[in-house]
Amino acid sequence: MISIPGIEFFTTLIFYIIIFLIITLSYNLAYGYSGIPDFGRAMAAGAGGFLCGYLPGRLMAYILGIRGDYLSNVYVIVDKVNMTLESNPPLSMGLLILTLILGACAGGLIGLLASLPILRGMRIFYLGVTLLAFQVGFNTIMYHYRPILRGELGVPIPDPFRWLMHYRILGLSPGITRSFGLIAAAGIVLLIIAYYCISVGRSPLGRVLKAIRDDEVAAATLGRDIRRIYIKVMVVSYAITGIAGALYAFYQGYVVGLHFDKIDWTFWPIAMVILGGLANNRGTFLGTITFIVLRRLIIFYKSDLEFILPFSPIWLESLLLGVILILLLIYRPRGLLPERPEIPLSREEIEGIRRKVGA
Amino acid sequence: MISLLVANSIIFANIIALMAISATLALSRTNVPNFAVATFGTIGIYISFTCIKLLGLGLYQSLIFCFIGGGIVGIIVYQLLIKPLRNRGATREEIMIATLGLDILLIALLNIYADYLTRNFKLMARDFTLSAYDFTVAGLSGAFIMSTITFITIMISLHLIFTRTSVGIAMKAIGEDPLLAECQGINTERLCVITWFIAGALPAVAGGFIPIYWISNPNISLYIVVSVFASCVLGGFTTIYDAALGGYIIGISQTLFISHLADIVGSWILSYGFFIALLIMIITVFTFPRGLYGLPWNRIIERLRIQFYRGGEG
Repeated sequence: MISIPGIEFFTTLIFYIIIFLIITLSYNLAYGYSGIPDFGRAMAAGAGGFLCGYLPGRLMAYILGIRGDYLSNVYVIVDKVNMTLESNPPLSMGLLILTLILGACAGGLIGLLASLPILRGMRIFYLGVTLLAFQVGFNTIMYHYRPILRGELGVPIPDPFRWLMHYRILGLSPGITRSFGLIAAAGIVLLIIAYYCISVGRSPLGRVLKAIRDDEVAAATLGRDIRRIYIKVMVVSYAITGIAGALYAFYQGYVVGLHFDKIDWTFWPIAMVILGGLANNRGTFLGTITFIVLRRLIIFYKSDLEFILPFSPIWLESLLLGVILILLLIYRPRGLLPERPEIPLSREEIEGIRRKVGA
Repeated sequence: MISLLVANSIIFANIIALMAISATLALSRTNVPNFAVATFGTIGIYISFTCIKLLGLGLYQSLIFCFIGGGIVGIIVYQLLIKPLRNRGATREEIMIATLGLDILLIALLNIYADYLTRNFKLMARDFTLSAYDFTVAGLSGAFIMSTITFITIMISLHLIFTRTSVGIAMKAIGEDPLLAECQGINTERLCVITWFIAGALPAVAGGFIPIYWISNPNISLYIVVSVFASCVLGGFTTIYDAALGGYIIGISQTLFISHLADIVGSWILSYGFFIALLIMIITVFTFPRGLYGLPWNRIIERLRIQFYRGGEG
């Protein structure tokens, strides 16, 4: 008997799609447009998410005048904070926006640190290696170092959407109403980010990035400071990913150093961007939605798959990821929607200019 | 005699050095950054586990099977992954992502294999050690003696292959310039296969030593890979000697230094073991990015000699 997904499945699905679209759009900016092989994306998402576990609770405790050790009484304090937030929607939203902005700052800071090797004129291959290693180090610190997130135990996060539970829309359960709130907030962020990324892709800046990707030396001879542009791209793209990480942490309501691992937050986004097509934002949408739907379906039908597959369905996801990445790179390296040549002016305009010049 | 700590750190250094040699060979001879090198080691762990538990072989006989099995895996990876990518004209970044995908795929397959062993043969195929099969001679563990002998044998044979045989010299030529080598009538295809046989076999042999003193599971490569790449970066990704030296420096400092530090500041620091490797890697990248290979050795030796003579006169 095959189970049919309920509404919770769809709210989760939509939320994941939004979160990963934010990440893949920013990844496309770094890898697709600028050609930086950036394998440290999980650090950026982690910076946002871990900041979410660190800052809002402490800040609210400070505002409410709760003294004493935060981490040892974290459940009591977060409960009190949640009660305040529940009765005060504007404060909740203010906290959410502040945390998202700070999450972006944290992501940007990590991006700046991660791009320091570029400043040293490092070979681009070394950058990949160092970023992978940095990422393992970053997660290990978060998982073992207690004063930040209680190490292996993790910390709960204040919930800025609890006030929504008082409203009943169409007789849905309070949890679903809260999810709608989160989806709305994440959707607004996605709209801003998508607008930004798409306009960068169309603007002269996007063409500069592509030029650098295609030939560094040629772009440098035209007076572009390559390293500075690389660093700017890294900072902006990491900052965007930081926002996604913070949103995800709010969604989970809990954060441990094990969240934001490299498979989910670095390699899956890479596969999504490559499937869709590098340097093509429409393709990024397509790739992300395809893979997220696939992954959520696998998770949902895990118990049914148990009987069909000769092995445990836990490994199906990483098996698929590996196979898909390899097959894509061998047979379809440019993705489903390949990058199209950018024509800054339409044909009529060029004809018009030609006529005006009189050539 | 050598203390247990030093012996263990040398075992670790041997393992890391063999893997670093493999990664360096793959990059310098065939221009493939192989991120799956530590997982090739995990394949070695499971080949040796299978040989011992199912076929009833001894610990060190199974190393031969590790060598052959790892080599075959290397050839398969070359034929099915690297060759098609090369023929398509993939960039180095794309090959990097492909080997990362390979790493994820291999870890999943090893996990499935471990499940299979557990279910069908009622074996504990996760979190096991094989230290019970080891022997001791004069207070020294067999793993120490055997891993050192293996390492030295492999180093000497690689040195002889690369300096004395035409195959090795041709391999060097391919590393320098594949097109030019082909013009000279070198069969690039065959040599790449041989290189990948070595690049698969060395980490698998190193992997055969891992379960003797570590608790092993299919995901253990996550904890080794940073040290391996730190050794390669320190070595400079160019010659096998620098890679081996880098592996020794990283392996020994990571184990010895961290345990001495744990005596001073407390045992909590043991979880951060590979930070030593990470630190060395960062320092290398920022101060001498071409690694040990790129250091001006002639000038350093000259300066040391001058210092030495001055010291002698004064």
